Formats: sequence, structure tokens, C-alpha cells
Amino acid sequence: MRNVEKLCLAHMWVAFAAFVAAAVLGTWQMWVRSPLGAKVGTPGQYFMSVTAHGVAMAYVLTTFFIMGFGYFVAVTALARPLPGKAWAWGGFWVALIGVIMAVVPIATGQASVLFTFYPPLTASVWFYIGLVLVVVASWIWCVLMLVAMAEWKRENPGRPVPLAMFATVANAVLWLWTTVGVAVELLFQVIPAALGLIQTIDVGLARTLFSWTLHAIVYFWLIPAYIAFYTLAPRAAGGRLYSDTMGRLTFILFLIYSLPVGMHHLLMDPEHGNATKFIQVLLTAFVSVPTLLTIFTITASLEIAGRLRGGRGVFGWIAALPWERPMVLATGLAFVMLGFGGFGGLINMGYGMNAMVHNTAWVTAHFHLIFGGSVVIMYFAIAYEIWPRLTGLEHPSLAPLRLQLWLWFIGMMVMTLPWHWVGLQGQWRRVANFNYADPIIAGWGPWVIVSFAGGLILLASALLLVRNLFVLHRSPSIALARPLYALAVHPPQRVPAALNGFGLWNVLVLVLMLLAYGYPIAQFVIAPSPSAIVHRVQ
Amino acid sequence: MSSTSRGACGPASPSSASCFAGILLGVVIIPVVQGRGAGLDAYEAICRALGIVAGSPAQPQPADRTAPTPVSQVAWTPDVLQILARADTNRGRAKVLEVCVACHGEQGVSVAPEFPHLNGQSGAAIYKQLHDYRSGSRTHPLMTDISKALDEPVIADVAAYYAGQPKRNPNPLTLAESPEAIVRLIELGDPNRNIPPCAACHRPGAGGPIETPILHEQGSNYLVLQLQAYASGERRNDVYARMRAIAARLSPTEMKGLADYYAAGFR
Repeated sequence: MRNVEKLCLAHMWVAFAAFVAAAVLGTWQMWVRSPLGAKVGTPGQYFMSVTAHGVAMAYVLTTFFIMGFGYFVAVTALARPLPGKAWAWGGFWVALIGVIMAVVPIATGQASVLFTFYPPLTASVWFYIGLVLVVVASWIWCVLMLVAMAEWKRENPGRPVPLAMFATVANAVLWLWTTVGVAVELLFQVIPAALGLIQTIDVGLARTLFSWTLHAIVYFWLIPAYIAFYTLAPRAAGGRLYSDTMGRLTFILFLIYSLPVGMHHLLMDPEHGNATKFIQVLLTAFVSVPTLLTIFTITASLEIAGRLRGGRGVFGWIAALPWERPMVLATGLAFVMLGFGGFGGLINMGYGMNAMVHNTAWVTAHFHLIFGGSVVIMYFAIAYEIWPRLTGLEHPSLAPLRLQLWLWFIGMMVMTLPWHWVGLQGQWRRVANFNYADPIIAGWGPWVIVSFAGGLILLASALLLVRNLFVLHRSPSIALARPLYALAVHPPQRVPAALNGFGLWNVLVLVLMLLAYGYPIAQFVIAPSPSAIVHRVQ
Repeated sequence: MSSTSRGACGPASPSSASCFAGILLGVVIIPVVQGRGAGLDAYEAICRALGIVAGSPAQPQPADRTAPTPVSQVAWTPDVLQILARADTNRGRAKVLEVCVACHGEQGVSVAPEFPHLNGQSGAAIYKQLHDYRSGSRTHPLMTDISKALDEPVIADVAAYYAGQPKRNPNPLTLAESPEAIVRLIELGDPNRNIPPCAACHRPGAGGPIETPILHEQGSNYLVLQLQAYASGERRNDVYARMRAIAARLSPTEMKGLADYYAAGFR
């Protein structure tokens, strides 16, 4: 492990500390929104809490976890020391300072603009500068990942980059592309407005730039889960990866198709032509391809494992899988949630169906299920898998780990399925409280209470996660050295350059981005639209 | 290697073909077919679909022919915001000593309960009210004539001067006296009567309309008079009739309770 254990643990503990705080806030929000909490909290407190929950879950948990996991993969998959370790620590501290800078204005009510900003609402400038620092720190991580892969390739000419590292670098490249949109929005529009340098904001342009980031960022969060599917789960199940090439293709397709598709978040916006929206929705449909490839490949890999363990018949191999292992269990549960969440996502993607659910709780439920559910449960599984390697200690018992994963799965299903349902009935989102005395809204009440119960289960699971990791730190048993990454059925000896690097794919991303976002952004310069007066909330 | 290479391009070729077909469908075929129904020629329909020309290609939209009747002539354009930003408090003070001092006091503390305190009030709020008096959107036996004698930069100067005057210290003794129902009305509103929370706009940092006045430490009597004037429709310079709609749903006890709450200096 060459002495990066502390670096990885520092990142992951910050990630999970933010996660637990956000889980507490999230549960409180579910309570306030339910008939049981009708007399609790003010809208001001609610939106403060939503902002903190969103920032902690979407920016802090994800970015820190991905950076920590990336450093781990770079050292373990490449089997060489991490280049620029001092830079990595520098990035960690910059990001941590950024988080503190962003949290203070949120806690003092100066930044209740939600994590997606919503200009012309403008928060305290420290909020934005703090988040920019987190992004800048993540760029340091991206560069270190690129350098690590380049140095390995120089030392191992002609050999295929190990899949885990290839995917991590795909994520770093994706993230560099992704952050351009929000960085431009913050640096040229929102921060000048927060500083009082400008009094108006072109909201259409701001939303367009944010949409550039908004969908790809979800894939940035998702890719660690997919890395676990491809490289950790087959080994944990006792089998082999069905196809290494399929894995490479999947991560390349994510890089290409998660970027030029963000406008499906703007289907109801007036500032773009219908044809532009159509093209991006079409490209959005392609994003389902890598997910379908993954479901096929991982199911095939697990089937290999099940049959090696003596499973027979069409479904017998499923029962034969070692479900007592957290990574296998988490993969199975993540697939179930991915199925439901993916189905909901296909609904959101259709223009007409999106029009019906666009501003309803359906959308909130969807992203909780797919991100909070299938992605975050894999973060837990990854943490359980690599923590023994980071600490040198073994989990005393796997039962609390399985309980935690099951609670997370049950809690997420209990919370989000009724939430989808009330969304279909028209429950709007971004609303602090509901008037359950209204006869139409009264019918939602029981479902919202069920959702709240799901939230409580999730909170219990979040606390159990932290407990499990603490217990591991004090564990009496020493970790056994065993292989981590899955071998492919046919381990790649040589792969074409296109599947071993990102040069070609960056060109393709550029072309697609020009096609998808070229004119939609240029139009704001060619014919500037009326701007909105800045609304300062501090 | 070459065979793997072809394998890698396999999924890319059908996807670029379908991408091409999709662009054809989205940019040309659907707009032209739908545009025909709306009486648009092909060129116009394609331009609209691309967003080069405004308008949806699907249906002609009926135009709203109702004449606009704005309740206020003040529009918060960047120019107006610049006027406010460039206001001169020294000139404002000179004008205050000349004109306003008799009722609103040199430091904005009014001399009689029916006049509002102006110390620490939002500059944009004072600016809008003076403009509304000038344009006749709001009327008052004294203020209408006084405002008509003031010109554009002077209005902003006076507004900035009073906005810069300090608030008095809130009186902590009165804070505990607000009944819970009033506090709920302020913080949560009353959804059954479609009354939004007062604090949604009248709270520093609420991010509400820029002209929203600051209410804390305002005279209770003045606040009741304004709520009554809104409720009866006598005062009507609130954009979108927001305050008229809210005030009409308040009981006299609630008006008094809200006014007392804010007069106590509690936000």
C-alpha cells in the first residue's frame, strides 16, 4: 500500500462524516414535510437544511470518497507509489477548507439557495468560493490520476492499463470536462453577482451552463460503483470478470455520452429550441447503453461465480452465490435499485412524460433511489472491502455489515417508492411544508409518513455504517492478504490504443459537445436575452 | 489487434448512424410536419426548432390582447439599480432637513403614530413609495404633493440617507408578548387561507421582491393602517396585488397582533 493509507482514510472519513450529518438533516426534512411534523421548523430552517443536505451528500461525500478511492486504486491496481503525494495532501486540505468556508454561511442562513444554486438567487460569496476550492482540489486529484497512469504506461509499454485504473482515469477525464460548465457559471456569473460587481444575471445562460455539469456529475458519482461492479464484485463472488473489453467500452461510453446530454434537465425551459432538446434527449438514450452492457457483463460474471460454486439450472447459480459477503450483497441490492431507478430515469427522459413529473416529488425520489440507493450502497461496500487493507485489521463479524446494507436497501425502497407515487399525484418538490388539511393533499399524508419511516431506517443504517467502521479500527484480528481485483475470463494481453487511453475519446467528446452545446451557448452572446435582477439571500 | 479494433468500433457505428437519423428527425422532419399544421413554411419551422427564431413549431399561440395596467411605474432595471447605488447621502440629508424632517424626523423616527419610521428602512422600498406617490399609484394628502416636487436623483438620495440611519434597539420586554398564533402566521403562514408566511418576504435575506419594506421596529399604528388600506383596496400599489390579497384575509385581531410583533423590533 506504500504509505497512502492515511491519505485514503482521511478522505473517506471526511466523506462519511458529511454523510452522517446529511443523513440526520435528511431525516429531519422528511419529518417536517410529513403530517407528523406539521408544527416543526420554519421554511427558512427547512431550506437551510436542504442546502446543507445537498451540499454534504452531492459535493462532500462524493468528491472526498472518489478522491480517496482513486488514490487507493492508483496504488493498488498499478502496484506503484502514488506520484505527487504532497500534492494529494495539499488537495485534501484545500478541499476541507473549502467545505468549511461553504458550511459556515449555510449554517448562518446566508446560503439557502440549495446545492444547485438557482440564480438569480445569490448567497454569501464564501459559499461559492468554498465550493470552487473543493472543485480546484478535485482537479489536483484528476491531474495526479492522469500522471499515475502515464507513468505506469511509460514503465509498461504495450501493456493494458488495469481496468480499475483505466476506469478511475476515465472518471478523472470526465470530471475535468464536467466541471467546466459550473466553473464558468460560478466564476463569470454567480460570484461576480455575489460580490455585487454585477446587478443582473442571464438566468438562461446560467441554467444552460449548470446543465452542462448537472448530468455528467451524476456519472462522476456513479463510476466508483461501476468500478466496484467490474473489478471488485466478481472476485468477491469467487468468479471472474466476463469481459475486460466490455468494461473498457462501458467507461468510455460513460465519458462520451454523459456530457452532451444535460439539456434533458431543461426540457421545460424556454431558452432553447426544441430540436436542440431533441438531439440531447437522443444522446441521453445512448447513456443507457453502458448501463445495459454492465448489467449483462456483471450478471454473466456472477453467473460464472455461481456455477463455479456448484449452482445448477437457470436460476440455481443465483442461490449459490456467497450473499454473506458484503460486496456481493451490495451488488445485488444495487442492481435492484438500479432497475427501479433506471426505469424512472427513462420516464424523465421523455419530453411528454417529463412535462408531467418535472417539478414533482417524482424527480427527487428518482435521484435518491439511483444515487442515494444504488451508488451510495456501493460506496459502503467499497469502504467495507478496502478498509481492512487501509487499517490492516479485519472486520470482527460480517453480520452488522450485512444488516447495515439491508437497512439501507429497505430504507431507500420504503422511502422512495411512495415518494414516486405522491409525485405522480402531483406533490411538488422544493416545498417546505404541505397543508394536509386540504382534501387533495390529505391523501398524500399516509404515503409521506411511510416515506418518513423509510428515512428513519436510512438514518439507522447511516449510524450503523459509522459504528461498523469504528469497530473495525479497534478490531483484534489482523487482516489476511488476499487478492482484491477480479481477473477477466480472458485477461487482456494487448488492447488497441483506443481502449488503453483517452486521446481519441476526448476529441469525440469535443465534437459532441460542440454539436450539443455550441449554438445553445453561443446564442446568449449572439442575441443576449433579458437578464434577471440578482436576489441576494444573505 | 485489428480485429479487436473493429470490435471496438462496432457499437460506435450504429450509434453515429442513429445519431444522424435522430438529428434529421428532430431538426427537419418533426418541425416541418408539425409546422405545416401551424401554417409555417419549412424554413421557418426548422429555424424555430433550432432556436434561431423564437416560437414553438407545434401550434400558433393566441396573443393576449389585454392592455397592461401596472399598479406601479417602477421597474427594477439595471439603470434604476445604478441610480440607487450612486445615491448621495449628503444631498439626501440636505433635502430631508428641508422637507421631510417635519414628520419623519431628522433620523427617520417619525413624530406621530400615523407616519412611518424611515430609519434603517430599505432604500429600494423608500424609493418605490416616493415614485408611486409621484405617479399616483399611491395617494396621500401630504405625500402626493411633496413627492411631485422631488426629482429623480433626489428621491434616491433621500432614500439612501434614511436607509443609512440606525435602527433603535429592540425592546426585549415586548418580545415575549406575541401570541403563538401570530408567530405561526409570520413563520408558516396559514395554508388553509392561502396566506404565505410574512417572513417569506419581510425577513432580511429572504430574497423576496427588492421593494419589500423592512417591518421590524415600524410603528404599530402605521402598520395596522396600511393593512387596513390594503384590505379595503384603498391602497393598491402592491405588485401582483400580493398585499391586498393577504390583508383581505386577516382578521382585525391578527392585523393588530402582526403590527405589534413587528413594532417590537423582532424580526
